[in-house]
Amino acid sequence: MKRATPYLIFVLLAIACFSVATTLQSRVTAWNNGHDSDSVMKVLLGDGRRIFANQAFVEADVYFHAGYYPSVFDQSQAPKDTRHLTAKEGSAEEEEHERQMNFLGPPADWIERFGRHFLITEHEHLGGGKEREILPWLKLSAELDPQRIATYTVAAYWLRKELGKPAEAEQFLREGLRNNPNSYELLFELGRLYNENYHDRARARNVWDLALKRWRTQEGNKKEPDNQSLEEIAINLARAEELDGDLRNAIVHLEIAAKVSPRPDALREQITEMQRKLNSASPTPEQPRH
Amino acid sequence: MNIVFALAGVVMKEMYRRKDFYVLFVLTAVMTLMMASVNFFHDAKVVRIIKDVCLLLIWLSALVIAVTMTARQIPAERENRTIFPLLAKPVSRVQVVLGKFAGCWFACGLALLVFYLFFILISGTRENYWPMLQFFKAIWLQWTMLGVVVSLVLLGSVVFAAPSSNATICFVVIAGVLLLGRHLNHLAVQQAEPLRTVVYALYFMVPHLEWFDVRDFVVNDRPLPGLVDCGLATCYAALYSAVLLFATWLVFRRKALNQ
Amino acid sequence: METILETKNLRVEFKAQHSRGARKVAVDNLNLKVGAGEVFGFLGPNGAGKTTTMNVLLGFVNATGGDAFLFGVNVREPIARQRIGYLPELTYYYKFLTAEELLRFYARIFKVPRAEVDQRIDQLLKLVELEHARKRPIKTYSKGMQQRVGLAQALINNPDLLILDEPTSGLDPLGRMKVREIIQRLKSEGKTVFFSSHELGEVETVCDRVAIINQGELKVEGRVDALLDQYHSNLEQIFLKIIGYQPQLAAL
Repeated sequence: MKRATPYLIFVLLAIACFSVATTLQSRVTAWNNGHDSDSVMKVLLGDGRRIFANQAFVEADVYFHAGYYPSVFDQSQAPKDTRHLTAKEGSAEEEEHERQMNFLGPPADWIERFGRHFLITEHEHLGGGKEREILPWLKLSAELDPQRIATYTVAAYWLRKELGKPAEAEQFLREGLRNNPNSYELLFELGRLYNENYHDRARARNVWDLALKRWRTQEGNKKEPDNQSLEEIAINLARAEELDGDLRNAIVHLEIAAKVSPRPDALREQITEMQRKLNSASPTPEQPRH
Repeated sequence: MNIVFALAGVVMKEMYRRKDFYVLFVLTAVMTLMMASVNFFHDAKVVRIIKDVCLLLIWLSALVIAVTMTARQIPAERENRTIFPLLAKPVSRVQVVLGKFAGCWFACGLALLVFYLFFILISGTRENYWPMLQFFKAIWLQWTMLGVVVSLVLLGSVVFAAPSSNATICFVVIAGVLLLGRHLNHLAVQQAEPLRTVVYALYFMVPHLEWFDVRDFVVNDRPLPGLVDCGLATCYAALYSAVLLFATWLVFRRKALNQ
Repeated sequence: METILETKNLRVEFKAQHSRGARKVAVDNLNLKVGAGEVFGFLGPNGAGKTTTMNVLLGFVNATGGDAFLFGVNVREPIARQRIGYLPELTYYYKFLTAEELLRFYARIFKVPRAEVDQRIDQLLKLVELEHARKRPIKTYSKGMQQRVGLAQALINNPDLLILDEPTSGLDPLGRMKVREIIQRLKSEGKTVFFSSHELGEVETVCDRVAIINQGELKVEGRVDALLDQYHSNLEQIFLKIIGYQPQLAAL
C-alpha cells in the first residue's frame, strides 16, 4: 500500500486537474464572448503578427528579385509600393521601380569592394514559372495579416497569369473577401480573373460594378481618394461593356476614368470614337446604368 | 603535428559521442521535412523557401555546435582536471591550443557535411538539379568561416571564466558581425566624431564573416563567387584565425594551472 | 650517479588571495637532487609546498625564481617530460573515452611506435586488471578503476622517471599493495620514482631517500636508513619532530 501511495496521489491530482479544466472550459468560452479559438499564429503572436506579415510580404518581394534587395540600412531605397510585383514590362511603374532598385552605389572602400563579390548585385525578376517561389511567403503573410489586401491581389495575379492556377487564385481571392468583405481591390482582381481566365465577361462586369460601388462608399468622400484603382475599375468596365455592345455605359465609365486619369487625352479620344459609333448606330437611346 | 592531430581526434570523438549534434540534426531534418510537406496552392515545385529554411537551420546549428563545443574545451579540461595528465606529457600549450582548434574545426566540418548531404538530397530531389560545385563552394566558405568562429571562441575560453558567458558573448559578437558587418562603414558616416572613428575602426578590424554567407546565392540559384574570390576569402579567414589563435596562446601560456 | 631530477634555488610565489599586493611564498629556495634508480619520497604536511613543487616540475606553473630540471632539461621545455610518467592524486580522464582509447591517445603523444602500442596496452591493462573493462567508457568506472587507469597511463611510455602524487590515496589495502609492488618492480628495472605521500609507513618501507619540506622550505633530506639511525625513531616521529609538532623531542 505504501508503495502505491505516490501513484495514487498522482492519479488523484490528474483527475482533479481534468475536472477543473472541464469546469472552467465553459467559463473561458463565455469570457471570449463565444468566439472560436483563433489560429495558431494569432494565439502565439497576438496583434504583433502584423509586423511579421509585413516582413513575410517583403520576403516575397526579395524572392521576386531573386535575392537582390536593399537591406534594412538601405530601406530608404526600398520599393515604396508593391505595384512592381504585378507591373507590365516597359510600363511606367516598371521604369520607376528600376530606378528605385539602383540602391547600390559605388563601393566606399576595399572591404566593400571585395564584399560585393559575396553579395547579389544584379537586378532580376523571377519569370518562366519561377514566380511560384513567392507564393509561400504570400500565403504566410495572409495567414498573419488577413486584412492586408495586396497579399491576395499579388498572389492571385501570379497564380492566374503565369502559373496556370485560376481555381487557386479564385479560392485565395474569395478567402481575402471573407476577411475583407468591402475590398474593391479584391473584387476588381476577381473580375479580372473571370474576364481573362474564365472569359466570363458577364460575371466580371457584375463584380466590377460591385467594386465600383464599394469604391464610392469607401473612397468617395476622401480628400485623397485612390484614383488609380478607380481608373482601373472604370476602364475595365468600359472595355467589357464596349465588347458587349453597351456603348452608353462604356462612355460613362470612360468619363469617370478620364476625370481621374493622369493621362486623360487617350481616354477622351476613345470617348469621342465611341460617341461617334453610338450616334451612327441605333437611334433609340438606351438609359445609362449609372 | 602528430600531437595536434591526436588532440583533435579526442575532440572529434567527444563531438560524436555527445547528443548535441544529433539533436540539432534531427531538429533541422524534421523542420525541413515539415516545411516540404506543406501545400502551397497545390504546387509541388515550390523549393526556394524549403532551401532557405533548411540553410538557415544549418547555419544556426553549425554556429551552435561550433560555439558551444569550443567554449567548453579548455575550461572543461581545467574543471575536470584532465589538463594535468595531458600537460604532464611532452605537450606544449601551443599544441593544446592548436589541437583544440583543429578538433573543433574538423568536427564542425564533419557536422556540416552531414547537414549539407541532407540539404542536397532535399534540394536535388525537388529541383532535379544538382549543382555540386555550387554546393561545394557554399560548404567550403561556411567551414572556413567556422574556423574564425572557433578561434574566436577559443580565445574567449581562456579570457572568460565561465563557458556560458564566453558562449553568450561570442554569439552576440558573431550575430552582430553577420548582420551589421557589411553596413558599419555606412553607419559610421552617419555618426559624429569620435563615434565615427570608433565605428570605422570596428569596421576595419572585425572579421567580415558575412562574406561567407552565400545562402542567397544557393537559394536563388545565382552563380556563386568565383574560385579566385573564394580563395582570397579563405586566405582572409586563415589570417584572422591565425591572429586569434596566436592571441589565445599568448594568454594561455601565462595561465598558472594549480592543482 | 646520473641526476634525473633537480631543483636549484627553486622559488614560487603567488599573489595572496585576501591581501592586496602581498605575495605568498609557496616554495622557498628549494634544492633537491634525485639520482637515477632511486625511490624518492617527498614529504610534508598539507600546504607545505609539495604539490607546488610538483606543479613546477610538470610545467603547470612557472617558477618565480630558480630552475628545475628533468634529465638535465629545463622543465619549461615540453621535451623534458618525454621520459616521465605522472599519476595525479585525483584521477580524472576523458570520461567519453574507453581505457583502451585513452592509452592509445597518450601513446600517440609519446610517439610510441605503432607496432608496440597494442602490445603495451595489453600488458598494462593486464597489469592493472582492467582487461575486462577496456571497451567501456571511463565514466562507467568506479574510483578504484579510474585510479588503475591512471596508473596505466602513467606507464604507457615505459618511463624512466615516475612522478606519483599520493599514489595510494583512496585505495583499499589490496590496491595499496599493488602500487607498492609496481614501485618495487620499477625500482628493480632501474627506474626512478619520485612520489609524495602521507602514508609514512609505506614511505619508510619503499623509499631509498626522502625529503621533508615545511612552509616551502626543505627541512631535511637524506637516506631513510640514515635518518632512522640519526633520530632513533620511526619516520613518522621524525616527520612530526621536523615540522615542530612535538617540541619536547627537538632537544634529543
